[in-house]
Amino acid sequence: MTHQIELSAVNKYYGAYHALKDIDLSIRKGSFVALVGPSGCGKSTLLRSLAGLETISSGDLVIAGKRMNGVPPRKRDLAMVFQSYALYPHMTVEQNLTYSLKINGVGKAERKRAAADVAAITGLSNLLHRYPRELSGGQRQRVAMSRAIIRNPQAFLFDEPLSNLDAALRVHMRKEIRALHDRLGATSVYVTHDQVEAMTMADHVVVMRNGVIEQQGRPLDLYDRPSNRFVAGFIGSPAMNFIPARSTPDGRALVLDLAEPQTIPFDCPLPAERALIVGIRPEHLTLTAADAAGFKVDVAAVETTGAVTFITTATTPEIVIALNGRSVVVAGETVRLTFSGAHVHLFDAETEQRLK
Amino acid sequence: MKRVFSSITDGRGFDLVLVGVPFTFLLALSGLPLLYNILMSFQEVDMFSLGSVIRPFVGFKNYVDLFTQPETMSILRNTIVFVVGSITGQFLVGFALALFFWINFPGASWLRGLFLVSWVMPGLVVGAIWNWILSGDFGVLNFLLQQTGLMSGNIFWRSDPNFSLWAVILANIWLGTSFNMILLATGLAAIPADLYEAAEMDGANAWQRFWTITLPMMRSTIGAIIALGLIFTLQQFDLFAAITDGGPNNSSNVAQYWAWDLSFRQYDFGKGATISVIMTVFVMFAATVYVRSTRHEVRG
Repeated sequence: MTHQIELSAVNKYYGAYHALKDIDLSIRKGSFVALVGPSGCGKSTLLRSLAGLETISSGDLVIAGKRMNGVPPRKRDLAMVFQSYALYPHMTVEQNLTYSLKINGVGKAERKRAAADVAAITGLSNLLHRYPRELSGGQRQRVAMSRAIIRNPQAFLFDEPLSNLDAALRVHMRKEIRALHDRLGATSVYVTHDQVEAMTMADHVVVMRNGVIEQQGRPLDLYDRPSNRFVAGFIGSPAMNFIPARSTPDGRALVLDLAEPQTIPFDCPLPAERALIVGIRPEHLTLTAADAAGFKVDVAAVETTGAVTFITTATTPEIVIALNGRSVVVAGETVRLTFSGAHVHLFDAETEQRLK
Repeated sequence: MKRVFSSITDGRGFDLVLVGVPFTFLLALSGLPLLYNILMSFQEVDMFSLGSVIRPFVGFKNYVDLFTQPETMSILRNTIVFVVGSITGQFLVGFALALFFWINFPGASWLRGLFLVSWVMPGLVVGAIWNWILSGDFGVLNFLLQQTGLMSGNIFWRSDPNFSLWAVILANIWLGTSFNMILLATGLAAIPADLYEAAEMDGANAWQRFWTITLPMMRSTIGAIIALGLIFTLQQFDLFAAITDGGPNNSSNVAQYWAWDLSFRQYDFGKGATISVIMTVFVMFAATVYVRSTRHEVRG
């Protein structure tokens, strides 16, 4: 297994502010890695450190087998797609694409051919002589991507490249970027705050918070087994429900801390008498008959999209239930909910780390 | 009447009033004097006919006379040397300073503010100070040049015909540098930082980034600054009055100073107006460049 990019014990300080804390990350050649987290989590700093636009304070950064700690960006052979696209406004699309080639002394004829080749891939062929100001947002995005592709770099770095596009175009470009990645056999590092983008595009998702990697792994592993409450709440939409609870002394049931404590039996052993957080995804909750095992909640709101119905409860904390198809439940009604033990995530109330 | 009034408060009439006020102002205070100046250049004007508008019409006589005078060509040449020398010096030093302060070291903005002092000072005061600096026997400039071994004897900057024009150019560069620096610094600040980052990722070193990003992005600023510089240098009058008085023997005389000299010291208003008309043509050319370069702003 070859690693294209390896970070070990990387730290970054801005004065006293500790922006990246002991980051260990290995990126396989040809993989698509998403760095995801809320704003200020350090994902952009990490990407810019890879690019060399920020210098790391300690640790090791290896790209394609070479230690790159103090190497300037222009010698790292990485291409970056900026959030703002950062197209050169005084150059045509073709000049934008071939800027790096020109800097590296590639001849004019060869530059023209390279631009034409890349433009054919990204659908810019008839826009080569326009200026960036004459392009739409989606087209500018493509120019930014093409400018990276033409270099055939060691890796592509994406800094929230889709956040300036409208929703429909974003969904479309998601697929397009992934298809390009596969077609080029590239290595990509992709920063986003949108967990859906991370989940749908990446082979490997890295969830960050406060400069720390909270969890990394394959998208569905993160979804199925989040290692702490933060990751559990961050991955998945609508977000996971968290209900404070306490296990019974015999460890065979959970007492949910809703308006009135409600006990529901649990089919696998629990640590006795422990303060817990029960995590359960909206799609894993089901309505059940009044006499079956489960817990009672009052319905506050019912929203339907046609394919899925979302029920929000009047409890504290609020619980969201996602039901396939439609439902006859109306606001104000009291319903009984149940879930399968296999779908429950248990977190320690104190440390918020995963127990099961 | 009511319709006219409502149009003024809320409609076309309001737009016309807005345009009309500055238009009238410009016409009265710039347009008419300009036309009057052109008219005078075709008339014979002396102190006794100064009060009337209708004066003997002489056709192109003033122009013809002017160009047969022996000093005319050398004064026009001086004007060109003064304009080109001043603008080049002001621009290069100003740009170098703007780039220097762009590094943004601690205290940069504070220090940059101090540079504006030169621009705030009246030209006559600047001229008086440079008189001391340039003085042949006790001037600081001569002292420095001799101590560094660049020359052995004293140069009488203001009274040596070979140097008198350059003495004024030197003072004018000092006077105009900070204005250039401020405008160029604004232009530099307007270039988005991510362009430099993108260029850096694309493999460009600092030198290449300057030539391929900074300069082309500054094109409109540079065009505007050179056009404004041309206008300001053609206006420069105080320094000549304070430092050389156009002499010795017209060696540092330029068109704008000569026009004043002809009109108000020799009372040959017709010739003074003629020189002004020639200068107006140059300024209009500069104004066109200025308007065009600010119109073709490249942004975003």
